[in-house]
Amino acid sequence: MTTYNELAGLRVNYVSSDPTLNTGNEGQVWYNSTTGTLRSLVQLKAWSAAGNLPVAKNEAASDGTTTAGWTAGGSNTPAANTGLNTTEEYSGYTWASGGNLNTARTGLGGSGFGTQTAAAVSGGFTQGPSGPTRVMFANTEEYNGSAWTSVTSMPTSLSNVAQCGIQTAGLSFGGGSGYALPSVATTLEYDGTNWTSGGNLNTAAVYQAAGIQTAALGMLANDTTGKGTEAYNGSTWTAVANRNTGRAQIVGFGTQALATIAGGYSAGPGSPQFTETEQWDGTAWSISPATLGTATRTGMGIGTQGSGTSGLLAGGFSTNYLADTQEFNSTIFSPATGAWASGGNLNTARSSLAGAGTQTASLAFGGYNGTANVTSSESYNGTSWTNTPSINTARREIQGEGTQTAALGFGGYTTTQSAATESWNGSSWTSVNSMNTARNGLAGAGTQTAGLAFGGFTTANTGATESWNGTSWTTLPASMNTARRGLGGVGTQTAALAFGGFTTAASNATESWNGTSWTTLPASMGTARYGVAGAGIQTAAIIMGGAAPGLGPLTITELWDGTNWTSVPPMANAKDNRVGSGTQTAALAAGGSPNTAATEEWTGTPSTGTASTLTTS
Amino acid sequence: MALFIYGTATNTGKGFFTAEDRRNFFLRGFPGNVWVVGNSEKGALWLAEKNGVEKTKAEAQAIVTAEVTAAQAAWDALPDEQKNRPGFNQRPTAITLP
Repeated sequence: MTTYNELAGLRVNYVSSDPTLNTGNEGQVWYNSTTGTLRSLVQLKAWSAAGNLPVAKNEAASDGTTTAGWTAGGSNTPAANTGLNTTEEYSGYTWASGGNLNTARTGLGGSGFGTQTAAAVSGGFTQGPSGPTRVMFANTEEYNGSAWTSVTSMPTSLSNVAQCGIQTAGLSFGGGSGYALPSVATTLEYDGTNWTSGGNLNTAAVYQAAGIQTAALGMLANDTTGKGTEAYNGSTWTAVANRNTGRAQIVGFGTQALATIAGGYSAGPGSPQFTETEQWDGTAWSISPATLGTATRTGMGIGTQGSGTSGLLAGGFSTNYLADTQEFNSTIFSPATGAWASGGNLNTARSSLAGAGTQTASLAFGGYNGTANVTSSESYNGTSWTNTPSINTARREIQGEGTQTAALGFGGYTTTQSAATESWNGSSWTSVNSMNTARNGLAGAGTQTAGLAFGGFTTANTGATESWNGTSWTTLPASMNTARRGLGGVGTQTAALAFGGFTTAASNATESWNGTSWTTLPASMGTARYGVAGAGIQTAAIIMGGAAPGLGPLTITELWDGTNWTSVPPMANAKDNRVGSGTQTAALAAGGSPNTAATEEWTGTPSTGTASTLTTS
Repeated sequence: MALFIYGTATNTGKGFFTAEDRRNFFLRGFPGNVWVVGNSEKGALWLAEKNGVEKTKAEAQAIVTAEVTAAQAAWDALPDEQKNRPGFNQRPTAITLP
């Protein structure tokens, strides 16, 4: 028998607890002696909720990617499929309306090809309350990201024609020829100007499409007993392995080598819809452990412009028309997500302030109101800010740590760099021993009695690190690897994280502190920036806003999982030099530049890896 | 159809926009209480519920530009030692609405 050692060149690790569940351990197998189980970290396949469509609908054309998807046309009128002309564009987090189709129509399920800024759609129909009044279309329209233009029609009017490819190399195949009329087996290829014939399908039907013009996959979609799949090589269709479950009105997306279908129904209109998902690996279909959150049929699939590992199912029909968007991901991690909401406004609008505490029990103090440094201090109860006694030294670019009732404020800029330290006991600020190195734009971590200060600006950038024991500061031997100012910091005195800042340009570097030394981590932030706000701990942090030369203030939000940074939905207001507090999943960002009193609250779900227990069954 | 609705509305704090609002439509705030909202039924309803005043894109841009111009003038009037601090308190940059 082949052993894991022979296959992987390694023995199975014998450990008392699971290792860190990150990409570095993907595919590894270990024996957990505590639970007595053989464990592994393998890809998860999961659907999650995404931003809702602005309008509930089904049977629209669609394509693109999970971060730049689109839908056009469709229907949301149960009595009469009069057809819609609306276009919706997805940014990865929210939908926005795009330009209207020239010809309103439905019967576009499976149709549409190209990207959000270079798309095409053809075919479809409208009909009155009774089927025979159906009007079929051959019309083709091209989209440039803002407007649709009528171009050369298909030679035949068809509905639900399966389409894939790009605007200048599209493929259309199968489809319906009219109400109660048979489906067709024809294939049409589009070069951006004209339609020409391709090889015929083996089975005339309505399909969902994946892939490109010269390497496509057709997935049978209008036969409740059918499971057929065909592959196209640019000239000929070949029948390949069937799916496991026969069903109609599915959605599909992906490539010829990696495709996904989901939803649909199996016993005619009115029967329950599926949540079941199947995945194609280039050879065979398998039922995925991932199931839709909302069972649906006639939805819009998005993801054929991607790699096949992710996609969207937008809209559709369950017991009524749906606006839901569901996102599929195949990864070792569940996707990180969340959203920002407004919080109570500060009483004093300002930037470059400091803070401490949590999302619902926070403290903000010091800063700059646009014309002068301020001393004001405020506390937040999760709803509103209340003025508290002021700090003693007005300053900006100050740093804070601790809690709402036991905080420390240190460093900053008056008319020069400050080393002043003040301690807050929940009712008043008291000046205590100063830092050894006066600086501003520094970062900090820890508590009122066990703190850490690092980075900042003296007369130049510094990486100096000092620890606070509740009474005095001690300069530590180890400095940061990258001296910088305007950086973010989270964590504790012995386990801190530093990120972003300004060297001679905006930085995306991340460093980890173990109580003795700083280590530059291999993963960088997605967007280099300074004037950042952060919250969380060394292994689970959030970075909020900031600024970058050429870009100005930012709304960008990223989550740190201990290994990597991941972009999540952005803030509503682009600001730098906010104060951040709280955790990776419940953070608060207040104030900022351009000068504001606004507060935003983050509620998030982090990306998590889940180890699977291996069994012999 | 236009991608966005433009308007002014005063951020009243908690509940002004919710996480659900952010999932339902595009929303971005700018100086001068200008808000750019996804052009959808829910987006339009949000602006109306916030007692927002709908503006044309040009009108909204003019408000933002005036705010930025004023902020730039205030920054320009600062002493040099307050301004020559790369990475800190940078001169407000022009903003072009989406």
